[in-house]
This record gives sequence, C-alpha cells and structure tokens, in this order.
Amino acid sequence: MMLSRIADSLYWLDRYMERTDSILLILRTEYVLALDKGSEQPHSWRSVLEHFTPATESQILDWEYDTIRSLRHVITDADNNNSLRALLTRARENARGAQDQITKEMWEQVNHAYHSVNNPEFEKKLEGKDTLRLIDSMTEMITLYRGVTSSTMPRNMGWSFMNIGKHTERCMITLDMSNRYFREIGYDLNDARDILYWRQLLLSLSGYELHLKTYRNSQHTQNVADQVFLNRHFTRSLRYTLDKIGHYLQDVTDTNNPAEKDSLNRAFGRLHSKVRYAELDREGAFAPQQFITDIRNDLVRFTKLLTRVFFSYA
Amino acid sequence: MTGEALLQHYRTMPGFWDEMLSETGIRSEYRQVAATLQQLRTDDLLQKDRLAADLFMNQGITFTVYSEDKGIERIFPFDIIPRIIRAAEWEHIEKGIRQRLQALNLFLKDIYGNQQIIKDGIIPAELIASCPQYTREVHGIRPAHDIHVHIAGIDLIRGADGVFYVLEDNLRTPSGVSYMLENREVTKRLFPELLSGNKVQMVGNYPLMLHQNLVSLATRQIAQPVVVLLTPGIFNSAYYEHTFLARTMGIPLVEGRDLMVDNHKVYMKTTQGLQQVDVIYRRIDDEYLDPLVFRADSALGVSGLMSAYRKGNVVLVNAVGNGVADDKAIYAHVPDMIKYYLNEAPLIPNVPTYQMSDPDAFSHVFANIGSMVIKKTDQSGGYGMLMGNKAEERDIEVYRQQVAEDPRNFIAQPIITLSTVPCFLDGKLQSRHVDLRPFALCGPDGISIVPGGLTRVALREGSLVVNSSQGGGSKDTWIVDG
Repeated sequence: MMLSRIADSLYWLDRYMERTDSILLILRTEYVLALDKGSEQPHSWRSVLEHFTPATESQILDWEYDTIRSLRHVITDADNNNSLRALLTRARENARGAQDQITKEMWEQVNHAYHSVNNPEFEKKLEGKDTLRLIDSMTEMITLYRGVTSSTMPRNMGWSFMNIGKHTERCMITLDMSNRYFREIGYDLNDARDILYWRQLLLSLSGYELHLKTYRNSQHTQNVADQVFLNRHFTRSLRYTLDKIGHYLQDVTDTNNPAEKDSLNRAFGRLHSKVRYAELDREGAFAPQQFITDIRNDLVRFTKLLTRVFFSYA
Repeated sequence: MTGEALLQHYRTMPGFWDEMLSETGIRSEYRQVAATLQQLRTDDLLQKDRLAADLFMNQGITFTVYSEDKGIERIFPFDIIPRIIRAAEWEHIEKGIRQRLQALNLFLKDIYGNQQIIKDGIIPAELIASCPQYTREVHGIRPAHDIHVHIAGIDLIRGADGVFYVLEDNLRTPSGVSYMLENREVTKRLFPELLSGNKVQMVGNYPLMLHQNLVSLATRQIAQPVVVLLTPGIFNSAYYEHTFLARTMGIPLVEGRDLMVDNHKVYMKTTQGLQQVDVIYRRIDDEYLDPLVFRADSALGVSGLMSAYRKGNVVLVNAVGNGVADDKAIYAHVPDMIKYYLNEAPLIPNVPTYQMSDPDAFSHVFANIGSMVIKKTDQSGGYGMLMGNKAEERDIEVYRQQVAEDPRNFIAQPIITLSTVPCFLDGKLQSRHVDLRPFALCGPDGISIVPGGLTRVALREGSLVVNSSQGGGSKDTWIVDG
C-alpha cells in the first residue's frame, strides 16, 4: 500500500534524476567535441540549447558559439526551468515529499547534489578552468545516487515506480536524441555517414564502446538504428527501457490490481510490441520517422494513463 | 589555544545560575566533560563544530531564509558542548511534568464537559469565555481514553536560585523532538568516548514509544490500526521533523490532499484505493484542520474531518481545543488546577504571572517595567513580547495603550534569570542563556517522558530569547548520574 502522491513523487524523482544524468552526458560529449574543433570552426551549442532549454531564437544566436554562456544557461540559469539546477531542485522536492518512503542514504545523496549546485562556488567553477571537472563531479553525484539507491532502497512498490519513471525518461531522451540525428540524414537508413557522425550520438547515450564491440560491418546508419532502437542489451535503447518498464509495470499492476489494469496493460502492450517486433533488415519495412513519432505518441499516451490510474490524488 | 586556557577564560554572568560552574568550581556532572575539553585544542573543537554543521546540512536539517527572491538554506545552529543535568534533578522534573499533565488533561476533559472547575469558582468563567483558543466546536466531544494531551513539550527554565520553573505549556503541536534526537546522533560522532564514559541516558527510543502510544489510541479493534502523520507540506518550517518522525516510526506521512472523509470515516488515497485511517498525528493547527468547521480558506486540512472526529471514528493527536490549556492567561491557574484536581502542591512552580486585567497588577507591572516582560497571550515563538529592561520609553507607551485597550490579551512576568551554559562560539567558551523542553507522551498506559529533552540556547550575547526564529540554537541534553 502506498499513497498515490508518494508514488507520483518517486516516479518523478527518478525522471528528474535521469534527465539530469542524460543532459550531463550530452554536455560532456559536446564540450569535449568543442575542444576538438579548434578556433577556426567553433562548436555550436544550438542543438543543446534548442532541445533542453527554453532559450529564444535571438538568445540562441547570441550564445551558440559561447561555450561558457551556453553551459551556464543549461546548468544554472534561473530563467531556464529545465536547467540542471532546476531539475535537481525538483528532484529534491519530490524526494522531500516522499522522504518517509526513501532511505536516509538516498535522501542525503539528493540533498547533497542539491546543495552542491546551489553553492556560490559552483558557478565560479563553471566559468573557470574546471568546467569539465565540474560536469564530471555532477555525473559522479548522480552515479552515487544510483548506487546508493540500488543498494539501500527496498525492492517494493516504490522501487518499481522509480524505475518506471527512470526508464520512461530514458526512453524519451533516446527517442529525442535519435530523432535529432536521423532527421539530419532525412531518416534514410541507407545514408552512408561514417562512424564519426554517429559517434557523438553514441557517446551522448553512453553506447559508443558497445557499438564498437557489437557491430562490425560498415552500415553504420543501420547499425546505430539497431542499437538505439532494438538492442536488448544496450541500457538506453528503446527495447531495453521498454522491457524494464514492462517488468516494473507488471509489479505495480499485480500489487495494486487497479480497475483500469487491462487498459493500462493494453496501452503498454501495443507500444512494447511495436518495438519488440520491429524489423530493420526487411527492405522498406522500417520507416524511422514514422517509427519514432509512433513510439513517442504511444509513450506519452501510456504515461498519461499511468498517471490517471495511480497518481490521480488531486 | 589549549582546552585548559579555554576553560580558564570562561566567564559566568553575575546573578545567573551557571550549569557548569558554581562558586566552588566545576559542578560534579560536568567534571568529565571539562576534563576532556582540557585535553583538546581550539582547532579540534573548531573541526568538530564544522563536522556538526556538515552533518546537519547533508541530512537536510535546515530551514530556508528568503533574501532577494532567493531561498538560502541554513542549518539550525547547534552548539557542540552538551548541557548536563544530574539524574536526581531529572527525577524531580519528571514527577513534576507527570503531575502537571495529569491536571491539564483533567482540566481539558472538564472544560469541554460539565465545567465543574468554573462552577466551583477556581477559574473565572470570563477567562475561559474570552480565551480565543477555547473551541466551542469540540464541547461535548470525549476523545478516546479521555486523553486530550497526548504529546506535550513543557518549557522549563532554571532561575538564579537553581530551581526549575515552568515557563510555558505546549499542548498543541510542540516541535523540536527531532532536534533532540539528531543532536544526540551528532554528539555520538563528536564525543563518542565522552558519551559512553558518562553513561548518558538514552533518548533514541522516543519514536518507538511514540508509535506504541499512537497505536494504543486506535478505537477500531483490529490487529494493525492505520496511523498517519499529517503535515502541512514541504514548505512548513518543521517539515524535516515530520519526515523524521514518520520515517523513524514507519508510518505514512500524509498531506491534507491525501485524505478524504466518507460517511464520517477518514480514508487515505493509495495506489490500492482508499484505506481507512484510525489515528492521525496531526502537525497542523486546529484552525486549518477542517475547512467546513474552521477556516474555510484552508487547503491544508480535510473537509469533514471534524465529523469523523466527533463520531469517534478517528483519533486526533493532540486533541482539538487544547489551546485553552496552554493559553498564557490560563497558565497562571495551573497550580490551582493541580490543587483542585489532584489535591497536591505543584512540584515544579510557575513563574509568577500578573493578569493585566487586574488593575493592581497593571499598575505594579508598569511601575516596575524595567524588571518585567509583557507577553501577548495568543503569541509564541518569542513574538509579541516587550522586555522591559531593553525597551525604549516609546515602545513601553505603545504597550501601555495596547494593554489598556485589551488587558485579557496580555500577561506580565518578572524578567526571568535564565541559567547559562558554556557554548563554543567564535573559538571561545562563552556563557549563554538556555531553557529546556522535555517531551512527554500520555497514553492509556500512563505518561512517559524521554530523559533529557531539547535544550534551546540564546546564541546572541545577553539575549534571553531562545527561539530558533530569533537567533536561538540548540544543544544535546545529557542526564547523568553525578
């Protein structure tokens, strides 16, 4: 038995922590890439600003080649309600609201992360020579949170709601990031971009090493599509995240047995099947644009239903 | 600086009881602590001070100060040097609190029942009638086991004569118990050997005692009654305490929006549907509990809660309407209540209190204003007070007019010489004033009191106001044989 509000808080706690983690990974990849480009061809932060912040077009034009300004907007700016500072603040609020259901160790990790990004020294480090170290230290805090959560949180319903939240967010990020790169090539699976093009996406999803170990032929576009959409072993693929959501969904529906259990399971089953039974190797059978749009819409529909069934306490 | 030098430089305040130093030297209960301090250097103590601050910050034991639209989190100041009380003195305090709570519970039962104490002329009817905390809506409601005060935090002070006095009875939603418990946990990290060497009495079982007490109050005859803690939410200044208690008791922490009333029963909204609630340890004031009965604009409470309470389907802890018993004007009559209900003399005396509605008292107080404190009867937390020895003529005049217009709303007391303790501040041992809030639990099986309580300390030099909202901090409180 769990309060609906608590279930909601735990779901969002892990969504915010996952989003923070994912954005940090993307920032790190982009920052390192920016260092590679040299002064003749400065790195543009446009796509990061467009995707993860509410920056206006004129602000993006002003900031896109200014690494520190862009990073400040993504990480700390008060007028960015999706900044990492804002995400950690919201994660902490959710943890605070569910403090009697999470472990003391978890709470201390979330609280520590919050205080770290709100420390006046934090912004100074961002503008100094420690930028990369700062990003790494934040990633380390999230990793610690994950580790402490994994080793202390009881495997009860709270754990299941947290995992549904985490994997839902991860699935969304993978969809959005993949869409960005596939759109660039006109969603053409036969496009002949080399691995350097895809490396950035794979590094941003922490999947580059797995890619090198798994895919040996030169059809990089198809290989990447297989990895990010259908690979059961890649922890940020759609397949993996949906498998996980399915696992934890079964736990919460079995435990609670809500009246709308069947419709919830059907909504998820439809979504899961689209990924589970998708085929890349059949000529013309797989249309990435349609696939991404369908999965995203189904995922949004499913999360709305989940919210109505379990979290509708207001 | 060495610890020895620190102790040698420690100065007590003339005219005040110092908890550590007497005229003849260090009191017996402080000897081990003093010996340990002598072996430490200022740097060691500064390091312990920093460690304590980090521990409080990391655990989120903080409150938010808003400045320039930014919320800055601050820890509640904690002083690392413990306050120590001898077990023999504590035994007397315990007996006194037990006696007081018995009388206060009987008073609440009586005053919301047939009001015999008024009929017998012990308490004037007009004092009750004019008390804003007297809650007509609960007249005639008999709470389970006739217990109105389940959790009390009675503020004590020690005067210059070394005697403990009751300063205030907190019978509604007394807070601070989590700080008492966390202070002890932090002290375990700072002075582990000292704690075990002094055989300090344990406070850590408070959550278990409280939980047992709450469960025993349930009226439904079921194996596992549902007990919840009702909080106003994460923006309440005592929210940390609410989460702490819910977590350490293993009960759900609910907000008003998590509860609903159907057919005079209270339910909480869970992922498995509605679950009936038996006992609510509410940390919400009476006026916000039920918008249908009290403040209609309150979103913190639960509509219909009072109807379930009236029917006896839910137990509210503390009971509704207790404010009438800890009103500052009623406080003066508690010794009379003890005599009336228990036929005993009070074991812990009150601070002498003047009712400003008495013309003689009015004249006496303003003639001697330099040694008086005037308090509003409906305020707490160190607000609504005039300290006569520090007030300017203009402020005194304003108070004189306010008191004359509404004398029932004010009482006066001689400025109390709160005892002092050594505090480690700015790298030195300095004396500061303290009070003591022991926490007592009343249940069907009797009254239990945690040995120690929360020592609140006025960290500003010369200040007598210990409230955290006004620059106060806290200390760990040890009860030791000595």
